Amino acid sequence: MKTQSRSVSHGMMAKTENEDQILVQQALRGKPKSFGELCRRYYPSLIAIADSILLDHHLAEDAAQETLAAACRNLKTLKRPESFGAWVGTICRNVAKDMLSELPRQRKAAERYASLEHDCDDCDHGMIMTEAVQQLPQHLREVVYLRFYNEMSYEQMAKVLGATQQSIDGRLRRAKKKIAAFLAKKGFRR
Amino acid sequence: MKRNSDIQWLESLLAKYLYREPVMFDFQQWAQRYPREAQLLERGYKDADQSHETKFYHIWRLIMESKITRYSAAAVIVLATALVLLGPFGTPGNDSVVLADVQQKVANIETMIIRGTKTFTLPGKNGDICEFEGVKCQFDLVKYSSIKYGLVEEGYVGDELIYRFTLNRPKRQTLLVLPPCKKYGVFTSTDKQMQLLENLTPSGLINLFLEGYHRDLGRDDINGVEVEVFECKDTEPFIGLLPKVIADIQSLKGKVWIGIEEQLPLRVEGDILIGKSLMTMFNDLNLHEVNTFGEYNVELDEEIFDIKPPEGYTEFTLSDILPLIPVEAKAGLAGLGIVPIGLIFWKRFRRKKTAVKQ
Repeated sequence: MKTQSRSVSHGMMAKTENEDQILVQQALRGKPKSFGELCRRYYPSLIAIADSILLDHHLAEDAAQETLAAACRNLKTLKRPESFGAWVGTICRNVAKDMLSELPRQRKAAERYASLEHDCDDCDHGMIMTEAVQQLPQHLREVVYLRFYNEMSYEQMAKVLGATQQSIDGRLRRAKKKIAAFLAKKGFRR
Repeated sequence: MKRNSDIQWLESLLAKYLYREPVMFDFQQWAQRYPREAQLLERGYKDADQSHETKFYHIWRLIMESKITRYSAAAVIVLATALVLLGPFGTPGNDSVVLADVQQKVANIETMIIRGTKTFTLPGKNGDICEFEGVKCQFDLVKYSSIKYGLVEEGYVGDELIYRFTLNRPKRQTLLVLPPCKKYGVFTSTDKQMQLLENLTPSGLINLFLEGYHRDLGRDDINGVEVEVFECKDTEPFIGLLPKVIADIQSLKGKVWIGIEEQLPLRVEGDILIGKSLMTMFNDLNLHEVNTFGEYNVELDEEIFDIKPPEGYTEFTLSDILPLIPVEAKAGLAGLGIVPIGLIFWKRFRRKKTAVKQ
């Protein structure tokens, strides 16, 4: 049963990959709508990836738009159009990291200060949860954001991360384990 | 079972605190924000010839794609590093001077005071300093340079001012003052002179060095300041700075000492062989000039660059210069068409006539 469902999802993934390939080829032939469709497909994932790095939703939106612009400029250089999702995800990671390095130091310091301020017994669950996610390594934080940001399926996540669903499942489990340990350390009770 | 309930509890928490409503992508808005990209899409990438945009990362990706090129590149890098660190080219260190950086830095200097010496020697005579009208041609120099106002050069023997040369940039005029004979001359500065003025700034000197063949001679020390020395032997960039009639530069060897820390020139030394020309009163002479820098962006009064002749001085004329020039040089002058031949012989005839009368 498990094997059957895996083969079904693999088939669906291949289908969407084919769709991506067609859309990329159409975009290269002068059909802006096709590129628009690709953007619509991946925009929420890109925001989630960028937000996991920048930890700011508005900046993440900017990063996602900038990513799509960069992808548009370099679409001709894409060697495997079927992996558009993974390609655009990598661009997004780089764009977000660049933006993060350009953020004013004062702002980073203020954020650090704010995070320290929340480190007290009276803090609400939301703050502790945010902290618990923020303390994760970037590659684990990324899967958590993708999974819970827009309730993304494993299949969608696999496309944008360029990884198998099994490895994503493994990463998610490790992330949850770390979050649970952090919450326990903070004395968080359900 | 326990694990599953734990995960469910955590999942619901994460979903509660991280969930956001999906943001819809607005293609029209995006196209307005990135019009170039939108145009690219509309044209179907017809104008997007990226062959000329080969960037570093494209080359890097090309190298990294194959194992053979990847390891070859690594071997080349290791070999190059070993050669630089252990090879005969010297150790560059972290503070080595890059002339292009110095060039950029000196371009921002507005004013400066240069001190040094200017010595004229006779070629092939054991470096004897040449004498002119009883004055030994070994001058202590003070130069005032301003990008805005121009250049002043003063030549002293001991404490006595022998000459003062003022090139006024805004008025495009040159004043030459000779205090020992209380004479002065004013000339309109030609474009060539203005170019010369540009070349006498640190920026100009560095540019000249970069234009010609130069080599790094390594580290040195000037009064405890660590410097890097560059040598230039190429005469080409210096030819044409002055008309051949005024200064016939036949060969040039120059050195520039650049402070490691400041990345600015601290000393310039030049040996120039000048052929028969006006500057050397039609003799072959060696000019050895040493310029010491250090006083950068100092406040210089506009009055220093004034081209008003001093009181009690009279303007020198061609007849003042002619007696100082050797006869064979006068013939050369006449031949070059600088001085009318009739004037030379008329002057000689008049001097003889006066002597007979006396």
